[in-house]
Amino acid sequence: MFLSRIVLRDLNSIDSPASMASSKKVVTRDEWERKLRDVKIRKEDMNRLVMNFLVTEGFVDAADKFRIESGTQPEIDLATITDRMEVKRAVQSGNVQEAIEKINDLNPTILDTNPQLYFHLQQQKLIELIRVGKINEALEFAQEELAPRGEENQTFLEEIEKTVALLVFEDVKNCPYGELLDVSQRLKTASEVNAAILTSQSHEKDPKLPSLLKMLKWTQNQLDEKAAYPRINDFTTDALEDPSI
Amino acid sequence: MPATARGGARPEEASPAPSASTSASSCMGTRPEELTARLAAAGPAPGSGCGGAGAGGEEVEHERVRALREIKNQIIGNRTKKLLYLRLGAVPSVVAALAEPGASPAALVQAAAAAGSFACGVEDGARAVLAAGALEHLTRLLAHPDEKVVDASARALRMIYQSRLAPKFDVNSGKNMDFVLSLLDSENENVTELAAAIISHSCESSAEQLSLCSAGVPQKLVSLFGGSMNIRDACLGSVTAVIRNNRDVASRFASTDHGKGFHSVVGLIHDRSPRTRLLACLCLIALGHASPCHFQDKQIKTKLIMVLLELIEEPGHVGDEAPLALTTLIKDSFELQKQALTTNAVEKLSNHLLANPLETRRAVTILLALSELCSKLEESRSQLMSVEVSTLLLEALKHDWADIRIAACSCLKNISRSPKVLSGGRLSCDTVIGPLVQLLNDSSTSVQVAALGAICNIAVNLTPRKSVLLHSGVVSQLVHLSKSMDPMLRLKSVWALRNIMFLLSPKDKDFIVKELTLSTLSSLICDSEHFVQEQTLALVHNLVDGYVDSANYVIGEDGMVMDAIARQLNNASAPGVCIQGMYVLANIAAGNELNKEAVMNVLLPHRVDHIKPSFVVNFLQSKDKQLRVATLWCLLNLIYPKCEASSGRVVRLQNAGVILQVKSMRNDPFLDCKLRVCMVLEHCMDNADDCFM
Repeated sequence: MFLSRIVLRDLNSIDSPASMASSKKVVTRDEWERKLRDVKIRKEDMNRLVMNFLVTEGFVDAADKFRIESGTQPEIDLATITDRMEVKRAVQSGNVQEAIEKINDLNPTILDTNPQLYFHLQQQKLIELIRVGKINEALEFAQEELAPRGEENQTFLEEIEKTVALLVFEDVKNCPYGELLDVSQRLKTASEVNAAILTSQSHEKDPKLPSLLKMLKWTQNQLDEKAAYPRINDFTTDALEDPSI
Repeated sequence: MPATARGGARPEEASPAPSASTSASSCMGTRPEELTARLAAAGPAPGSGCGGAGAGGEEVEHERVRALREIKNQIIGNRTKKLLYLRLGAVPSVVAALAEPGASPAALVQAAAAAGSFACGVEDGARAVLAAGALEHLTRLLAHPDEKVVDASARALRMIYQSRLAPKFDVNSGKNMDFVLSLLDSENENVTELAAAIISHSCESSAEQLSLCSAGVPQKLVSLFGGSMNIRDACLGSVTAVIRNNRDVASRFASTDHGKGFHSVVGLIHDRSPRTRLLACLCLIALGHASPCHFQDKQIKTKLIMVLLELIEEPGHVGDEAPLALTTLIKDSFELQKQALTTNAVEKLSNHLLANPLETRRAVTILLALSELCSKLEESRSQLMSVEVSTLLLEALKHDWADIRIAACSCLKNISRSPKVLSGGRLSCDTVIGPLVQLLNDSSTSVQVAALGAICNIAVNLTPRKSVLLHSGVVSQLVHLSKSMDPMLRLKSVWALRNIMFLLSPKDKDFIVKELTLSTLSSLICDSEHFVQEQTLALVHNLVDGYVDSANYVIGEDGMVMDAIARQLNNASAPGVCIQGMYVLANIAAGNELNKEAVMNVLLPHRVDHIKPSFVVNFLQSKDKQLRVATLWCLLNLIYPKCEASSGRVVRLQNAGVILQVKSMRNDPFLDCKLRVCMVLEHCMDNADDCFM
């Protein structure tokens, strides 16, 4: 009799709701915001992050304005950004030859030491010729310029085949490799060019801001396993969403 | 042209107009022949003392600049065009533009860029550029007032010095060393990078490395680690080149300034940039090989393994080369291979291999790393042999790329060092031997050599189940390769036959000898390469091992093989050859009377002149203990068991001074020798009717 009463009491305490939910720590919005307020970030660091983003992505005018208004020094000479942006713009407009000449003026070793980039630029050139319907010129170019790339390096053969296949189809846009004619292809090539130029200038090719956001996402995922807290689900609005209990 | 409309502006695209410059250049003429001719005809620059200054001269200069620029833009990145312009003889005109006293900065910049590009990646280009005298002109231009000219010249020189054809830059000369040091001090990054390239190029001999070390170059390079990424990477590469394989320089580097340089490099293995991490690892690996005592720290070695395993995930060149760095790190080191195993290296590398296509450089380097990981550790071998990897290896053996085939063979060679890994499962000797035998016919010698290596090891492990090998047709292939012009193919094929011959049944031995023929065997014993001679004698050693009759192969048929052996033993051949030769004789001497007599005739031939002592005495006096032991075994077998014939042989040996020699070896330092010496003398006493001194 006596024993069973004790046992029942013990069972009761195990079943109570408060202790059931104690596996995860809960942080209320007030607590959270208070903790956040205690974290000190320097304005200069934020400015440098913004400048790094503008410079890496190549927004020259914005970077210059930002330099004047915030007093933050750009990490690289803005003049070199201008050059880089001209190249990028040329590729994005489909003026590949102009882009090649500008890269060579900027630094003639880039294309000599980046066979894949050089190949992609020539591939883009061929795509542009096909796009405007200059079929004969395209055929000649494919034979004189693209075929040798394939001979020099077998890994390019597959890409060459895809691109040359475009010449076969009447309705190019809807053929199997039609995506090569998309703007996205130009942007891809432009991005590759941008990265190569940045690397040649000893600049990191990726801005730091995305890494920070990745870190934030990862940290939240890790924390999710241990606590319920106000999350940021939309990085653009930075809205804190109340923890679900 | 098809009826459906193509081209024309579409709303979503930005201006799709054709390039403006194509129309401009077509006016000028972009055909290489035209450009080359135009450049050659451009003549001296205006204001260079030939008169003709003013509008006419400027136009000529303008022409020259345009021609140079056009050529430059055609050749950069384009090997085919470089070769074309080379054939057209454009290089001398391009380099001549560098030498023009009145040349404009614009022309110099274009000419320098073109010259550098010719030298980049094309050996003939580098040769032509050097022959035209570009080196001196470009070096002179490093002092040009126009910064752009300096940049262009520095870049071009760097391209040239990265070619293996670039001449030696004698750093032993004080003047040259000062020049390099001044370049290192430059504010211009291109110039500093050039200095690093020159240093890397000038480190071939240890004397050069020592000169650079004494001039404080390593420390200067370390001080530049704080510069931009490209400078830092270039300097890391140069430090590695200076210390490579040079114990003196490496240990000085590690200890100077309380190891400041060393610690800087260690710090860089955790740098943000993957390329820097790889280069720092390579530097430390070179340090560890050159000066092991400075590299005892187990922690650093473990860190290196982990950093390299991470780097394998990086895209591009870094991820491709990281496995090779790992291979170099763990090569021949049981300790490091064990360490790598505990960090799951085998699993990680296998996963990478399975996740990526085989026709990549990365697959090659990963396979080679896996091969090295399996070279000493049984556990690595078992871990590697999962179903997926086994299937992949079989596929790799048949791959289009020679490098993949070679790497796969290398893996199999090391895996088959295991007595049990290939004995069952997906990858057994049976499944593997067929493809390997195919590779013996491969068009690439390197593949053949690699396949032979694998077969050698598999043959050892198949004892006693060798029928599967013999039925695979491998013997005839091996015999064929033993007659190859390539000494490495001869060596490895004979080695494989040797391993197959080990503990083989008499019937199978016969089969092999019939395929090989005794005359081939005799010529192999007298091969031009001593390592082939040695392996052949080892093969014969295995042949005459165990069965009395097998000695007939050697003594029979007019004793062709025996004659060959005798010739080698008498010719003061390499020690390894003599050792194997004596073991062959020892094995034969273990047979019947006929055999023993045959051996005696080799040791003590009936000679007209008795001036030359028997090689037996020389062998017994050899510094090589293996040779002494082998000879003693032979003697032992000749005088045992006791019988009249044996006594006769003792007397003959005594007369030749052999027994006296043996007596002098009573205190031989090598225990095995000492034992045999005692046994020989004991049997001599047994055989003697009278006591002898």
